[in-house]
Amino acid sequence: MKRFDHDSGRRGFLKGLLSLGAAGALPGSLLVPAKSQAAPFDASAYQVFRNACPRNCYDTCSIKSYVKDGVLQFVEGAPESTYTKGSLCVKGYAYPRRIYSPDRIKYPMIQEGGRGSGKWRRLSWDEAMDIIADKILDIKKRDGSLLGLGLTKYSGQFGIVNYGVEGMMSSLGYTTRFVGTPCWPAGIDAQNYDLGDMWCNDPEDMVKSKYIIVWGANPAWCSMHSMKYLYEAKRRGAKVLVIDPIFTQTAAKADVFWQVRTGADGALALGMARHLLDMGLVDKDFVENHAVGFEEFADYLRKNVTVEWASEVSGIPASEIREVTEEFAAAKPATVWIGYGMQRHTNGGAMVRSIDAFVAMSGNIGVEGGGARYGHLATWGFNYHAMVQKQPEGSVGFAGASGPKGEFDFAGGGSAKYSDRAVNINKTAQEILDARDPELKMLWISCKNPFAQDFDRNKLERAFKKLEMVVSVEQFFTETVKHSDIVLPATTLFEEWNVNVSYWHYWLSLNEQAIKPMHEAKSNIEIAAALSRAMNRKEPGSCTFAQEVDGKEWMVKEFNKGIYGLFGIESWEDLRNGPAKAKLASSASWNEKKFRTPSGKYEFKSDLCAKNGFKALPEYVEVRKATAPFRLLTPHVQYALHSQFVNLDWMEAFYPEPYVFIHPDAAKAKGIGELDMVRVFSSIGEVKVRAKLTKNVQKDCLVMYEAWFRKLDFNVQNVVDDCAADMGAMKTGAPGVAIHDQFVDIERI
Amino acid sequence: MSKRYAFLLDMDKCIGCRGCAMACKNFNQLDPGMVWRQVYPLAESIYPHRERAFLSLSCNHCDDPACLRACPVAAYEKRDDGIVVHHQDKCIGCTNCVRSCPYGAPRFNKEEKHAEKCSMCVERIEAGLLPACVQGCVTGALQLIDLNEFEETNAVQYPAGYPVMKRLNPSTRFILPKMPRQVRG
Repeated sequence: MKRFDHDSGRRGFLKGLLSLGAAGALPGSLLVPAKSQAAPFDASAYQVFRNACPRNCYDTCSIKSYVKDGVLQFVEGAPESTYTKGSLCVKGYAYPRRIYSPDRIKYPMIQEGGRGSGKWRRLSWDEAMDIIADKILDIKKRDGSLLGLGLTKYSGQFGIVNYGVEGMMSSLGYTTRFVGTPCWPAGIDAQNYDLGDMWCNDPEDMVKSKYIIVWGANPAWCSMHSMKYLYEAKRRGAKVLVIDPIFTQTAAKADVFWQVRTGADGALALGMARHLLDMGLVDKDFVENHAVGFEEFADYLRKNVTVEWASEVSGIPASEIREVTEEFAAAKPATVWIGYGMQRHTNGGAMVRSIDAFVAMSGNIGVEGGGARYGHLATWGFNYHAMVQKQPEGSVGFAGASGPKGEFDFAGGGSAKYSDRAVNINKTAQEILDARDPELKMLWISCKNPFAQDFDRNKLERAFKKLEMVVSVEQFFTETVKHSDIVLPATTLFEEWNVNVSYWHYWLSLNEQAIKPMHEAKSNIEIAAALSRAMNRKEPGSCTFAQEVDGKEWMVKEFNKGIYGLFGIESWEDLRNGPAKAKLASSASWNEKKFRTPSGKYEFKSDLCAKNGFKALPEYVEVRKATAPFRLLTPHVQYALHSQFVNLDWMEAFYPEPYVFIHPDAAKAKGIGELDMVRVFSSIGEVKVRAKLTKNVQKDCLVMYEAWFRKLDFNVQNVVDDCAADMGAMKTGAPGVAIHDQFVDIERI
Repeated sequence: MSKRYAFLLDMDKCIGCRGCAMACKNFNQLDPGMVWRQVYPLAESIYPHRERAFLSLSCNHCDDPACLRACPVAAYEKRDDGIVVHHQDKCIGCTNCVRSCPYGAPRFNKEEKHAEKCSMCVERIEAGLLPACVQGCVTGALQLIDLNEFEETNAVQYPAGYPVMKRLNPSTRFILPKMPRQVRG
């Protein structure tokens, strides 16, 4: 008989139908066949709650949670959202296991044997908070300020109320903040230079597009709910082109796939722009009436760019570039989805600007079904009540200018004498090592897993040794917890009240507390209140954070009339009936073509960009030079949201082991065979992992998908250094990271 | 006319995300290591790009189920609507069904010492809902069809890589995946 010809053949499809004939001879044949009397599923037997997935993901799903006897039985996607449309993803469906995993951190603990010893002792919340408060007061006494206390927090658990972590820090005084984002900052600044803001079309309007370029994004793994719009656009006759160094799952669903050389996307876009110019396909009305600097840009293109040159740099044949450019220009509307992957380069911001320019010239900005789509924060206008807290009287801080504290810092700058000390989140290890006057003595970590996410892991190990105390707020025993002194158990989304929106779609979701907190877990604001009690007990007035909080009340305090108006709701309680979508005048961003740039127009030439040390025009910038034989890419896998989910045994059933993917020719040259154990190494570290051979990757490229496996010592950050991307400092406080400009070698072990 | 429920997998839409398989675990509250639906990447001899096209398979709810024939205690039932249901309360854990099914649908639960398999979420179907995996498919690749009414001309019963079992007559249908035109630098 035939066997399944699949990869994990060990599962085994049995060879013989051994017992087929035998059944009749058994006494069982006398048995009456069973009759199905399955009681129909009855939703009314459950309490149904609304939840909002708080992961750092385009899709930010609206969830319906079914609870019986105080236990979350299962989850499903909210059908009311046309974006979530009744389906979650493989990660979302693993939530019941995440809540009830035996691996969850159950109560506060202290690692008495020293960090990494694994000798943990259970603490009561009061004991834990006493130890922490004593340390904070000790630092203040020694230094005269709290700048020796640092916070590193990012996107591990979104939800507006969770900005209470930043609020807790402010309520203690002026502290050191790790600011910026490893995610998307270069592109944010690029779009700000060009358009005056990052503001994308409603993704649901991609169905109207006639030509879609997915450029350096892999929605099939990272924005699965967007795939239905690509499919529908295709069904209506659109063409989909995927441009990526990897033959991704999204590429497999495209009409055309361009395997571009990594970091050459900017050259490619400029070549396409030049061809628009040569063919007279530039949208005259847009470049003359709604833009500035086009003539200078056109001059630059004529003098410095040819299609042949773009072809040589990018590896895409000139004939292809011409053909696609003409098709894109002829299709109205046409759009480019600019992925975050393609800006994680030393020239990332410059590349995004080149693509923006191409889309702008083609007349697709401000058009439904068009646009240079990157992201938006247009629906994030909450009160940030939990975030905005007052420093105690007499607090001393950093004297000097303070920039933005990340893209989600909506608190605005104050005019106080002092500010927090801002350090670069993308150079966590270096900043800890370099911090002086005062040195960084204590680190509070919440909604973040630095040992999985931060760069140059070996350097981070050294840096953490400098810290006197590390406190982690976590759900699982991550590598960061291993490097902590105290761990505090955090609630999951189902155990707290919150509200959440997306940076991609335009839906707003309520997050109700569906079950009681597991074990002794507390939400971030409950932890802040507990710390405030301890601080004020020891030194009255030393912390301004409320000493008692009601999660639901604090969630309600995040709403305002602006949010109600934007989403067309009377009250937050309307969201109990399902998520709401922003009432958009048009699905197109910039539909009035009023740009938020200094000129009020689209800026092909940006003086602001020049002022910040870059080229005024979206010129070609060469990518980081190779320092080892292979380029290493470490993008996301569909099973993980960074270090989350792959640690669950449910997920291990589908994704038990990581691999490094290598082209068969490269593997042959290195004497590496399928599933051989290999060492991927660079000057900063190494990763040991098994190899899979595939032509999905280029010959000079290796791919490892980042994830945290609870039983494996696998961490891609061992070989990813902290080299900066070009842009990002303007809007997010720090430049991005050249995550995809990494170079390694590989050998068989 | 009575219904004959079946799964349709549009492989051209399937992105191999395993959402269907996890949705099954989520709704049916399977033990940690158990799966009733699994997603298998096609071999490169069938689809030339590694791990980029998939068969998402659970029980195929065959016309003449091998599991039902093999079961010595009649724990299996073939319903009039085509759904093959396994009654765990009757199961003695002999694993005859596990060894008989060429598609690997029934699986042995070592902790509980009984076989388990996909019931097409019959209790959901009886409530007018879709099976959890179909409901959970984010791209619409996995669908519930009534074979008695199904007239999709480009669907096949035996895609490459899937065992041909004519006597069993599995009910699952497939639409084959396409490939993009590729331009490689």
